[in-house]
Amino acid sequence: MSKSGTILYLDGVSVAFDGFKAINNLSLVLDQGEMRAIIGPNGAGKTTMMDIITGKTRPNSGQVFFNGDVDLTKHDEADIATMGIGRKFQKPTVFESHTVEDNLVLALAGERSILSALFARRSSGESVRIDEILQTVRLTHRRDDLAADLSHGQKQWLEIGMLLAQDPKLLLVDEPVAGMTDAETEETARLLKDIARDHSVIVVEHDMHFVRELGVKVTCLHEGSVLSEGSLDHVSADPRVVEVYLGR
Amino acid sequence: MITQRFLSNGFSPRIQLTLLLLVAVAILVPVLNLALPADNPFHVPTYLVALFGKYLCYALLALALDLVWGYCGILSLGHGAFFSLGGYAMGMYLMRQIGSRGVYANPILPDFMVFLNYRELPWFWLGFDHFWFAALMVMAVPGLLAFVFGWFAFRSRVTGVYLSIITQAMTYALLLAFFRNDMGFGGNNGLTDFKDIVGFPVQAQTTRATLFALSALALALGVVVTAAIVGSKYGKLMIAVRDAEPRTRFLGWRPENVKLFAFTVSAVMAGIAGALYVPQVGIINPGEFAPANSIEVVVWTAVGGRGTIIGPIIGALLVNGAKSWFTGALPELWLFALGGLFIFVTLFLPKGILGLYDQWTGHRRRIRKQEPAPLPGAEVQPAE
Amino acid sequence: MQRRVQHCRQSRSLAVLPLLLAFVIAFLAPAHADEAQVRSIITKFGDAKGFPQIEAVVQELGATGDPVVARSLNALSDGVLHVRKADKQIFILEERGGLRVLDPLSGEAVADAGVARDYTKIRVNNGLRRTIRGVLGSLTLSASDPNARMRAADTLFQTPDPDAIETLDGAIAGESVPAVKMRLQQARAAAVLQSDLPDAQKEEAIALLGGMGDRAALSLLNGFAANAQGDLKSAAEGAADRINTTLAAWDMAQNVWFGLSLGSVLLLAAIGLAITFGVMGVINMAHGEMVMLGAYTTFAVQEAIRAGAPGLFDWSLLIAAPTAFLVAGAVGLAMERGIIRFLYGRPLETLLATWGVSLILQQAVRTIFGPNNREVGNPSWMSGSFELGQLAITWNRLWIVVFALAVFAVLLFVFNRTSWGLHMRAVTQNRRMAASMGIRTPWVDAFTFALGSGIAGIAGVALSQIGNVSPNLGQSYIIDSFMVVVFGGVGNLWGTLVGAMSLGVLNKFLEPYAGAVLGKILVLVLIILFIQKRPRGLFALKGRAVEA
Repeated sequence: MSKSGTILYLDGVSVAFDGFKAINNLSLVLDQGEMRAIIGPNGAGKTTMMDIITGKTRPNSGQVFFNGDVDLTKHDEADIATMGIGRKFQKPTVFESHTVEDNLVLALAGERSILSALFARRSSGESVRIDEILQTVRLTHRRDDLAADLSHGQKQWLEIGMLLAQDPKLLLVDEPVAGMTDAETEETARLLKDIARDHSVIVVEHDMHFVRELGVKVTCLHEGSVLSEGSLDHVSADPRVVEVYLGR
Repeated sequence: MITQRFLSNGFSPRIQLTLLLLVAVAILVPVLNLALPADNPFHVPTYLVALFGKYLCYALLALALDLVWGYCGILSLGHGAFFSLGGYAMGMYLMRQIGSRGVYANPILPDFMVFLNYRELPWFWLGFDHFWFAALMVMAVPGLLAFVFGWFAFRSRVTGVYLSIITQAMTYALLLAFFRNDMGFGGNNGLTDFKDIVGFPVQAQTTRATLFALSALALALGVVVTAAIVGSKYGKLMIAVRDAEPRTRFLGWRPENVKLFAFTVSAVMAGIAGALYVPQVGIINPGEFAPANSIEVVVWTAVGGRGTIIGPIIGALLVNGAKSWFTGALPELWLFALGGLFIFVTLFLPKGILGLYDQWTGHRRRIRKQEPAPLPGAEVQPAE
Repeated sequence: MQRRVQHCRQSRSLAVLPLLLAFVIAFLAPAHADEAQVRSIITKFGDAKGFPQIEAVVQELGATGDPVVARSLNALSDGVLHVRKADKQIFILEERGGLRVLDPLSGEAVADAGVARDYTKIRVNNGLRRTIRGVLGSLTLSASDPNARMRAADTLFQTPDPDAIETLDGAIAGESVPAVKMRLQQARAAAVLQSDLPDAQKEEAIALLGGMGDRAALSLLNGFAANAQGDLKSAAEGAADRINTTLAAWDMAQNVWFGLSLGSVLLLAAIGLAITFGVMGVINMAHGEMVMLGAYTTFAVQEAIRAGAPGLFDWSLLIAAPTAFLVAGAVGLAMERGIIRFLYGRPLETLLATWGVSLILQQAVRTIFGPNNREVGNPSWMSGSFELGQLAITWNRLWIVVFALAVFAVLLFVFNRTSWGLHMRAVTQNRRMAASMGIRTPWVDAFTFALGSGIAGIAGVALSQIGNVSPNLGQSYIIDSFMVVVFGGVGNLWGTLVGAMSLGVLNKFLEPYAGAVLGKILVLVLIILFIQKRPRGLFALKGRAVEA
């Protein structure tokens, strides 16, 4: 399989914690601009896979390439983030004691050195960008509120907004609709589809309704490796997937 | 121009008031002490000048701690070490100013070195006869220690209580080291019997008044620097690291560098506080490195209100005022009171006096909850 | 009277002990010569002029083989043997609290003593003293008590004399106790090295001494090698090398023992912390004060025993241990219910609040018991020492090692084999799940904390046996305890054991090179560096759960 033209290339990746194989010979390829949904039961290795891609966990073996030629196993979280991989955690993680706006300011792409942060002043370009993002994630009216005061769904959106501010090439989104109302879920699906127009995206989600809404290629993980891959209809018809995940 | 950008966010009225007060105190107290006769009701006695000068140094130390603890979430239990190192650097200068007026009248070697049969000045004492050099070391030594220590600790992602415990071990190790005679810092007795500072006698009333004024101004400067740092984008980043370190990392920041900068700046501030402290109390000895001292600084900060700029100053002044009163009036009760204060503040006043005041006046500022209170055991490590 | 003599001798002479015992034996041993004959020889001291003549008399006395001469010889060596000017009779003078004149054979006081001016002291020099030691040594070789013979052999070994070889040969032939016989042979070997006997015999002697492997033999061999030539020299040097190797091994063993001993002190201090910090995640800065409370409980129990039932003193520690467990455990329980339970999940706040508790406890103890050190006695079974090879092992250290391991084993059992331990582990791993399974999590928390505190109290009982008991006692252990837990790895009792023991041993191995204080500093620095390398300790748990 060729790496060129891929945004993410995982081949034969394995990682074990104290003998437990969290990821077992996992191979996954994501093309430039593609959006992919990942499903799978608890403990299938979804979060560990994200840990590997973002440099939090080092694989014991296997290849992890970004953008065709960057070996991600040689870089740490901050490096990988500046290269253009953004990550949303399963539990919404925003800076609760900052305002919505400041959360975005800290996420905005740009120089990441301490000195530049000390003497930073906001440029007009940045202000425009923040306005845009606030618009996109529907938080303009809450701009000056503390992130702590947002609802659960709004925190999820703020976090997605922070990802956008980071201007990544690839977004990893872990369970974006957990705990959302149906209306919020639909809204989020629309938001992600918007984003997918000019970004590559991986979405991990349990909500089949939401996955269907996205309408993209689906990969089902089980016990650390790929069980089935294809359209949602194809995957959900796969007897092994039914067996381990969807239930009869 | 850079300064202007640095300060561009402007200071809140509360901080402007604090700065004004500190400058006023720096001018008024020495004047009331020197210009008024002793029987005038507005005369400030010299012993009070020295006492309050000491408190101001403590306040600067508390402010330094607050920069790392309140804003960056690093609970250092070793800030007394930076304070003491600054103090020792100043003490070394003052020792060398004694010259041949010591008991052994050795023009080069301080008394304790003659007593311990030193032939010549150890290399690390060279240069301390110049004030500028000592002043540089006052900042460089604590800063360097903090930089090296922090470089290792933050890079290895030592956080939370682990970091607190190793900072405590650091000051404990220094305590043991400075007690040793062959370290060349006067061992048990430390450095004392100072005579002159930049040509003025240390004991003189005018010198004391000047040192007081300098302490107040240093504190004011500390407030300016802290407020500027906290108000910058970097300040927001510090708070972000405090509240959600992994998030900052996945946004591409390097939390270790954020912390390292704050830790180093804070250590330099603590060193300056120590350097101003030593000529005013007339002695520096290894006891200053005791872990208990460093923890006491934490309680000053907590009492006043961490994560604010004037909280630690209020806390340091109040707790030390109470300490002076207790140790005079009811010495046995002081530790009960201090211990009780630790418990009371953590249980009932998580935001300190300042937080209480803000709540009480209904002046709900945008101070968020210090730390979310998760369910019991949420941070407990899994057992074997 | 015996005691007074003993007392006054001890202050005068360095080599008293063997002599004194020889002197005691003198009373027990049957007389070999007729008393009048001995008395007449002693009288010759009156006429002896100069050291050679005095020495001749000493030899003559020795030749009688009668232990009764020991008293006069000892007196001569101590410089208290005198001649009465009037009649040249010999007496022992004692001048403590007025002049006493004693008979040189019986040691009984003589009436009409007169004044000191009436007597002339018989002069003695170091050469003469050596002769006397040798004579006394060979004299007691024939004593009936094997211990006395052993001591005589020791003396002869320490002052080797070629002239004694013949006596020794006789003694070796007649000796029935193997240990004494061995010692006699060693003494003979030492003497042989000094003699002009043929080389073959000297080589045998070297081989024998080389086999002893202690410092005394080493210095004999080194002394010999310095003056010897050829084969003998290399043989002696070879034997010395072998001894050095043995000694190095013993030194190593000594360091390991000291290290394990320190390690078990650390283990005792840290193991309670391993529960509260390691298992529950609670930073208890008052942990050291729990140790202190245990030590003061021991003190109080001993005071009560002294006042009420002195006969129970040897049992005091056995009574104090459960008492200390209850006292510290109760204080811990009160702390958990009153303060800590409001602070779960906020470790830094817990740290500060418990520090406050530690200040209060220190001051409370200071108010009740006073600020000074309190003396806690050792029961008889914890005092003294014994030797194992060349290791001197004190009983209190040994018991503390045993005790620490016992406490560790009990805790391990409680954790892994009891239902309470199961509850504890369940709560630690998944609080909500445990609660929904019907475990009362608040009580599990409270009692786990009380258990950790109680163990600290028990540690205090043990630590009161080896150090000062003062209100600051806890402060000196708290940092070390944290270092042990952090080094060993949090949440793992085995890690605590390994951490404590390795830090103890490391400390003792650094001490000879760096000194005690610098050694400790080095250990602290090493731990600080170690934590940077492995932030979660030696036996850290790995995986996602750790950082979740």
